[in-house]
Amino acid sequence: MEDESSNPLRRMSSRTRKVAPKMVAALASSDNRTQAVLARLEALENDNAGTEVGDLNDDDEASLDDDDDDGYMHKKQSKSTKRKTRQAKALENARKAPRTFLELLHEANLESLPPHIPSYSRAAVGPPSSTSRRHFCTVCGFTATYTCVKCGMRFCSRRCQNIHNDTRCLKFVA
Amino acid sequence: MTGVVVLDNGGGLIKAGHGGDLDPTAVLPNCLLRPLSSKKFLHPDPLGSHSTAALDLTSAAVRRPIDRGYLINADLQRDIWAHLFTSHLRVSTPSSCLLLTEPPFTLPSIQRATDELVFEDFNFKSLYVADSASLVHLYEASTSPQGLVSKAQCSLVVDCGFSFTHAAPVFQNFTLNYGVKRIDLGGKALTNYLKELVSYRSINVMDESFLMDDVKEKLCFVSLDVDSDLQLARKPGQDNVFRCSYVLPDGVTFTKGYVKDPEAAQRYLNWTDESHSTSGGTIIDVEKPESAEDRKRIDLTKNEFDLTNERFLVPEMIFRPADLGMNQAGLAECIVRAINSCHPHFHPVLYESIILTGGSTLFPRFAERLERELRPLVPDYYQVKITTQQDPILGVWRGGSLLASSPDFEAMCVTKAEYEELGSARCRRRFLR
Ligand SMILES: [Zn+2]
Ligand SMILES: [Zn+2]
Repeated sequence: MEDESSNPLRRMSSRTRKVAPKMVAALASSDNRTQAVLARLEALENDNAGTEVGDLNDDDEASLDDDDDDGYMHKKQSKSTKRKTRQAKALENARKAPRTFLELLHEANLESLPPHIPSYSRAAVGPPSSTSRRHFCTVCGFTATYTCVKCGMRFCSRRCQNIHNDTRCLKFVA
Repeated sequence: MTGVVVLDNGGGLIKAGHGGDLDPTAVLPNCLLRPLSSKKFLHPDPLGSHSTAALDLTSAAVRRPIDRGYLINADLQRDIWAHLFTSHLRVSTPSSCLLLTEPPFTLPSIQRATDELVFEDFNFKSLYVADSASLVHLYEASTSPQGLVSKAQCSLVVDCGFSFTHAAPVFQNFTLNYGVKRIDLGGKALTNYLKELVSYRSINVMDESFLMDDVKEKLCFVSLDVDSDLQLARKPGQDNVFRCSYVLPDGVTFTKGYVKDPEAAQRYLNWTDESHSTSGGTIIDVEKPESAEDRKRIDLTKNEFDLTNERFLVPEMIFRPADLGMNQAGLAECIVRAINSCHPHFHPVLYESIILTGGSTLFPRFAERLERELRPLVPDYYQVKITTQQDPILGVWRGGSLLASSPDFEAMCVTKAEYEELGSARCRRRFLR
């Protein structure tokens, strides 16, 4: 079967924006810990942390359409645009939205360069030589000896565990 | 004579001014901001401006043209530059040359978009693209002509900036690309990490990037001994030398936050000096650690929050990214790998000519900690010498200013006519060796 549905990656990428919260939840059930780590690292590069990662582009563009009367970054949208369905608008925004660095990187296809040519990918420092990793309690910062079975985050004591369960558990995945 | 605009276009800060000057004319955030009080995105004030109408940046939304260190939004950058050139530098771009910084390994598609901005939108007369490491090397070599950097013609520049950290060997004013190593952590990630810690432990500051930048700059430092400092940070009340309070803006009297007792915030400097020098094995009495609930209660009744171990756990990431779950080596190993990629002939002199630049090297004790981590990784018969630039934020710009005023500069540039004839890709080859 070589149709589109046989390629899970492609199917995902075209729908990521729309189904993001659901998909994230689904992924979370299969591999919470990896997802939590990735989501956390991604969050460290965010500009507007209050905004959900998946909605960031939509949100930015929407605010410009409505608020930007100087025609700063984009030509002012015609009135008709505002009457378009939300879906059509989202599609349009996705097309004109600047691509992220990771998208441009993917497009540049650096892997095709001959191995002796230095590149962005090859300049990454690479994994540490020691595999030991220190763990700090995500609640109080002290050395943590326990791991949450649901999300993999660390805590140092029963007290911190309770706070974790109440306020933070699966925050980055759900 | 044509003036040269020197533009260090950082992901966090733009440093811009006139070639030949000692310091840049303007240093300002490379972004647009939308404060709560505004419906539009606005240009930020330059740093150090004392205008009475300063923007209240509480919960401001931000848009940046640079993502992970690279220029990805040319439209936004055009807007920011246009404002910069007319309102701050007051230059006419068609009669100026541009010296522009660009990070190593910028993708060809990004270089093309940049060249379009420079030549098609702003009509600059000519362009020279420089990397920050070579400019830092140039500046350091020229400020101490008798120093090793100048005599040996090489150095290892560690640039720990807003978006990422690079260790780059430089030889005869050229960065050796095959030796450049990168850690994907910089000041932006550190501020976000601090936001995360404070939001979880005391009060929600997830939307307060500018406030937390200030907290980071004023209160974070690098620990020389994390385990012992973690113990110390558990002490309750005033016995805890790391404890300090930061007062949030109230939007009425104060539109900016401030450190409650700046003197007390510096106590740790004296205390740890003493303890590290007098006793070999440090034994610390840990009294009953105060509960997180206690801290929460205090924070909610007053308009402030306390920091303790956050102060050193944040910069700690640069030294151990693995603690965060990143599969990357820390700064000391990064330097060793950069140097090991060079010919062994260079190794001794590179270890002896390490230059720190970039805003994230400003944390107290950064160089000291780095030296402690680096020393055991380097063969005994090599010297390790680490120099922090006098002003790590302006160092790159100053090197650019120096280069722009050198007699060879004009010949190194690509002119608009050449760009139009040859296109971006062929012009870019000029900037390589
Ligand atoms: Zn804890
Ligand atoms: Zn959990």
